Amino acid sequence: MVAKLLQRRLLCTKAANHQHQQQQPWSRWSVKQVSKSNFSESLEELKNHIHNSDFIAVSSQKTGAFSSPWRRVLPFLDTPETAYLKSKDAAERFQVLQFVVCPFTLKPSTPTSNTKIIAHPYNFHLFPRDELNMGMPSYSFSCQTSYLTSMAREGFDFNVCIYDGISYLSRVQESIAKDRLENPSSAIYSVKSSSTPSVADAVFTERIKSRVQYWRDACKNKNKGSEEALIRSLRRLILGGEVYGSRPCMSIDVCNERQVQLVLKMLSEFFDDLIPLIIPDNGKGPKAVRVVLTSSAEDKNLLERELQDLEGEQNRKVRGFREVIDAISASQKPVIAYDCLNEFTFIHSKFLGPLPQSLNEFMCSLRLVFPHVLDVNNLLKEIGPLRKANNLPAALSYLKRQFFVPVDMEIPHQVQENEGKNYGHNVLRTAYLFAKLSSILKITHDTPHSVIDDLPSSKSYANIFNTCFTNLQEPIDGENILLDNVRKVNTEDLVFFWGFRGGMSAGELRNLLRGTHGVFSEEFEIQMVDKSCAVLAFWKPNLAEKLLEVMDSSGVGSDKVRELISEGLRAASYEIYKKVCQLGLWETDLADSFDKALAECPDDISAADSRKESSEIYWNSDLIKLDDL
Amino acid sequence: MNKQWLVRAFSKTLTLNLTSSTSYVRPFCSATNSTFAIKNVTKKNFDSALEDLKKHVRDADFVSVDLEMTGVTSAPWRESLDFDRFDVRYLKVKDSVEKFAVVQFGVCPFKWDSSKESFIAHPYNFYIFPRKELPFDGPAHEFLCQTTSIGFLAKYQFDFNACIHEGISYLSREQEAEALGRLNLAYEDELSNSAGHLKESRDSSSVRSADILFTWRMKNRFSEWRDSLLRNGGCQFEENSKDLTPQFQTVFYKMRPALKLNGFTSHQLRLIRLVTTKHFKELAFVRTNGENSSEQKLVVYTDSEDDRDMLMKEVRDDLHKEAELKVKAAAGFRHVIDLLSSEQKLVVGHNSFLDIAHIYSKFFGPLPSTVDEFVSCVHKNFRHIIDTKLLLNTDNVIQQLMRKKSTSLSSAFALLCPQIAFASESSALVRRPGVKVEVQVDDMRSSNWNSGAKHEAGYDAFMTGCVFAQACSHLGIDFKLHSLSSTGLAYHEKLQKYINLLYISWNNDAIIDLHTRNKTFGSSAHHNHKRRYPQILFPNIVLVWGFPSKFKPRDLKDCVTKVFGPDSVTSIYYLDETASFIQFSKKEFVSDFLELKETLDGKSDPISVLHPLSKLLEGGKTRAATYEVYKEICSSSISKKLFADQAEAVGIKCKNKVVELREGEPQGIENIEAPSSSSTEVEAGNLNSDSVNKNEIDKRSCDLKKDLSHRHLSGVELMDALYVTESQHEKRSKTSANA
Repeated sequence: MVAKLLQRRLLCTKAANHQHQQQQPWSRWSVKQVSKSNFSESLEELKNHIHNSDFIAVSSQKTGAFSSPWRRVLPFLDTPETAYLKSKDAAERFQVLQFVVCPFTLKPSTPTSNTKIIAHPYNFHLFPRDELNMGMPSYSFSCQTSYLTSMAREGFDFNVCIYDGISYLSRVQESIAKDRLENPSSAIYSVKSSSTPSVADAVFTERIKSRVQYWRDACKNKNKGSEEALIRSLRRLILGGEVYGSRPCMSIDVCNERQVQLVLKMLSEFFDDLIPLIIPDNGKGPKAVRVVLTSSAEDKNLLERELQDLEGEQNRKVRGFREVIDAISASQKPVIAYDCLNEFTFIHSKFLGPLPQSLNEFMCSLRLVFPHVLDVNNLLKEIGPLRKANNLPAALSYLKRQFFVPVDMEIPHQVQENEGKNYGHNVLRTAYLFAKLSSILKITHDTPHSVIDDLPSSKSYANIFNTCFTNLQEPIDGENILLDNVRKVNTEDLVFFWGFRGGMSAGELRNLLRGTHGVFSEEFEIQMVDKSCAVLAFWKPNLAEKLLEVMDSSGVGSDKVRELISEGLRAASYEIYKKVCQLGLWETDLADSFDKALAECPDDISAADSRKESSEIYWNSDLIKLDDL
Repeated sequence: MNKQWLVRAFSKTLTLNLTSSTSYVRPFCSATNSTFAIKNVTKKNFDSALEDLKKHVRDADFVSVDLEMTGVTSAPWRESLDFDRFDVRYLKVKDSVEKFAVVQFGVCPFKWDSSKESFIAHPYNFYIFPRKELPFDGPAHEFLCQTTSIGFLAKYQFDFNACIHEGISYLSREQEAEALGRLNLAYEDELSNSAGHLKESRDSSSVRSADILFTWRMKNRFSEWRDSLLRNGGCQFEENSKDLTPQFQTVFYKMRPALKLNGFTSHQLRLIRLVTTKHFKELAFVRTNGENSSEQKLVVYTDSEDDRDMLMKEVRDDLHKEAELKVKAAAGFRHVIDLLSSEQKLVVGHNSFLDIAHIYSKFFGPLPSTVDEFVSCVHKNFRHIIDTKLLLNTDNVIQQLMRKKSTSLSSAFALLCPQIAFASESSALVRRPGVKVEVQVDDMRSSNWNSGAKHEAGYDAFMTGCVFAQACSHLGIDFKLHSLSSTGLAYHEKLQKYINLLYISWNNDAIIDLHTRNKTFGSSAHHNHKRRYPQILFPNIVLVWGFPSKFKPRDLKDCVTKVFGPDSVTSIYYLDETASFIQFSKKEFVSDFLELKETLDGKSDPISVLHPLSKLLEGGKTRAATYEVYKEICSSSISKKLFADQAEAVGIKCKNKVVELREGEPQGIENIEAPSSSSTEVEAGNLNSDSVNKNEIDKRSCDLKKDLSHRHLSGVELMDALYVTESQHEKRSKTSANA
């Protein structure tokens, strides 16, 4: 190893030196840490940076990735659809504890300078605290023990997240909360010049007007004379007057939106010292308009500002961290992430709303919020379409070895006092990787959108998500670049096996099957999906179907197959695997999930067989080392 | 029980206020420092703490325990309800235990010191975390956190970093047995393989040319080395000695010359191993754990094939022993539980059914499917368990003393043990001569100990023990007279009425006897003041879910009584906003209702549309079933937040069963309550249990006011329920004022 490295250095001193220099001591960079206490100010800052940036990189730290080995997205097995269903399950199950946002600009290299990133990374600590006492944002969440352990090893501070994490509500949850909160909203409504008022409207307006007039005069007079307490309270009783803060107010009951409009119109036409507030009725529309009397124009301004602040505060309290997501969305800037499927299923489920049932719906829903999403992983494929780097550091070191693309990083943040507790550097890696890739692929910030649209990978939005990678939390040595050994295989040619003796390896299973039936004389390959279940790929069409027929008929015509079945061996098609994912039969062992799927809906499955949709996956015999599972 | 967190939230507020107000008052009655910290145990000091604890437990008269978990209920409707039968209640506890993790475990041995006429307590606070210490199946891959519970722990400064970074791991007995079994299997496999025919390397198919070159080179190296050994009679292999970390280094291993291999990749090592076995009869490839547990790879020279086999066996035995030790070490915190179990000490807990279930599932094995099996397994491991909450609620003397005050742990502690709770506050309180308790942590001792503002499992265990000691004295147990050493406290006649009785559900006073497995409904004083709710008859109950969201209990009642007559509905109980129980006055109505529902379903002819019941079926998602289906839904491992979603997720399977059950009379449904005695009444909406904290009451009364008929409505009781919340609220504020 050392020798290898030396050799490389000798061959290319310059590159090696550079590499050394570029050996980013990531923790050197200061990432601004944001928790409850400094959220408001940081949000304003970040909004500015977002406004001035070309791209926004995001990454997050979760409480887990997958609940059992087969439930992670398996590159050799999953179609985009099943990968989505698995990611959906994880996003619903686990919690985001940190969300890192990094708006950045790219200065392309000139003859005198390197490509330069100017980045503003912010690491938000999150906790789904129930701030409104409504059982939101989440009643409970799961933690993957090994995940937490490895986070702890990297020095993650759980106390900061749990004590001071920022809460949030998704967009859907916010509308539910608003319905339930019944907070008066200040009605700085634009008064619509709607249809001509009817007689009834005129009568209503006139009646309200005189009531308001009378009440207002009474209030103003009251201030002059000193009345007895009894009379004062009687007056209040009769007039229906209340107090809003220190100011007098009254409520006008309304029946519909139309009447609200009329009241508002009347108030703005005839009174300049009254401010209306609309009181909602349990989510069923307005219940009343509360009119607040101000003592002067100055006082009126004051109250208006107060109300605005109140609303802002209310919103901040309700939306919490989601304001950041809204700001990113509003900017319409391209969002960069590594492993987008994972990242964006979490974003959707936590900050937008419940995840839809299918990948397509998910894409549609997401596109409305984030029109430009770029998966760095996918860009990586553009350079070496058949090369794979299965985590961020590996991808970085791969690029380092293959290309000479110097990139400088600048972070204008001031150094914070909590140095050493710097988290969220993955977002910088992502931005850095993106910068390298973009200079290789000639993406510039001047025309990011059109260039991105020209990339073959981005032609269809759906392609952006590279479903074939998962960012594993397990330590993977940095040099783990795998040469490709991938082969396309149609899902129709796959057969799942389970029910064999525990602890069997793929090789043993292969030996067990070989010779039991004619189909096994053809070339086939076996991989373990988890310790309970294996998948077999035929390289010739129709063999899988034949095999499944034999298995279904309990081994008619083959005593050896019958023998295997009687010992418990079971088989299923890819369609049933899809069913398992669709129905959410997420058992610990895939074998149990298959058994459940077969027990639950045998009819469905035969029906599914008839309208089989086949798709292709990339079978890779090298990629998964089962010892690691 | 199910709202333990909330209880603690409340009780801890009480004590928190208390300590914060007393922190500046210097203790006058004792010269010793009373503010030393509790004994916190993490993996760093676990071994030494365990040794100390062993001694303390062995000497102890009883040991109190308390647990902190990451949550209690995985969905709102899984909270303990009044309509829970024993089996359903157990299923709910089982679900909770299987999903949540234990993060803190308090153990506090108490020993009577006759010379000082005082108890000596040794509180321990263990941080535990289900870390995976072994390469194969460990404790839990995943656990659930209830957001409110975590928030609650945070509120009391629970140190999550200590827990996750340094928490003690554990294996249950079953997991340990499995791990050892696996080891032995692997060991035997290797033995049989070692007979010469080594397993062919997996993929012998694709041999790369680079590999061939490497193999050749290694082969040459090894034969050179062997030859040099033979020539020089074991002298140094000089070649690479100039390098700082040579790839090959000659060392001695088990009295034999060996080459230590450095800096090879795992693939290269695999090739080396192949080379040695293929080409050298006298060389053995050995993996071993050297000093400071770093793995070493060696190629060892042996005199003969026999010698090689002997060496290999030795190595394997070493590795096997080492692995066994590792497994034993991975059992971690379970050693504490084993200690409690093997010493057969009296174990004391406060409302501890859930705690015991956690202990069972984390440290023994998966929970059995029925409560009877569970209880008998527990009894086998813990011969004597006493629950202080049950003791306080069932003994008349203590009840009088408590004056129907809350039996939550901290208020009971404040009430029964003022001499400990308010030790430093002194004069203001007229001191009742109580049982003295001296606390010892390491070398520090105090008779008026207060751990400070921290209220963790260890402190709660300490409070539980104090409450128990005081309660014993009220029962008339004289520690001075009693020769505890001879028979043990557990056999004291005055405790026999309470021993091994636990509240399976505190809400409805359901008690289980661990020894006889008898289930009874207690006659706790606090449940006797008013007969408010009708008796619950499970065969008369129908479960309805998925009805329109605007449907309120009153609507539901109207709708059903229009069909079955004004007296047909005994009570209505909402599980959550999507589901409700309807208890009919007659069993027949259940099947009638289900049948009628089935016939009306999906029909749109005028008669069906105008049928009074069709209002309930609006939206087409309304489902109905018997109580047995409720049990089945509870037993599922799925936990959706809303009951209707849960039923749908589980329902795929039991669609047919709904119909099945409708046809026959519901079978095997027995009302467990003894129908004769007056104590059979189950009080619904029992808000005066201590399982409701102030917030909760606020929220509930708020809910009730907003939507007067949200949960339980049976006619006039509506106002009663409101009354209960309000009066409780008052009482609650009073209690806190008192404290």
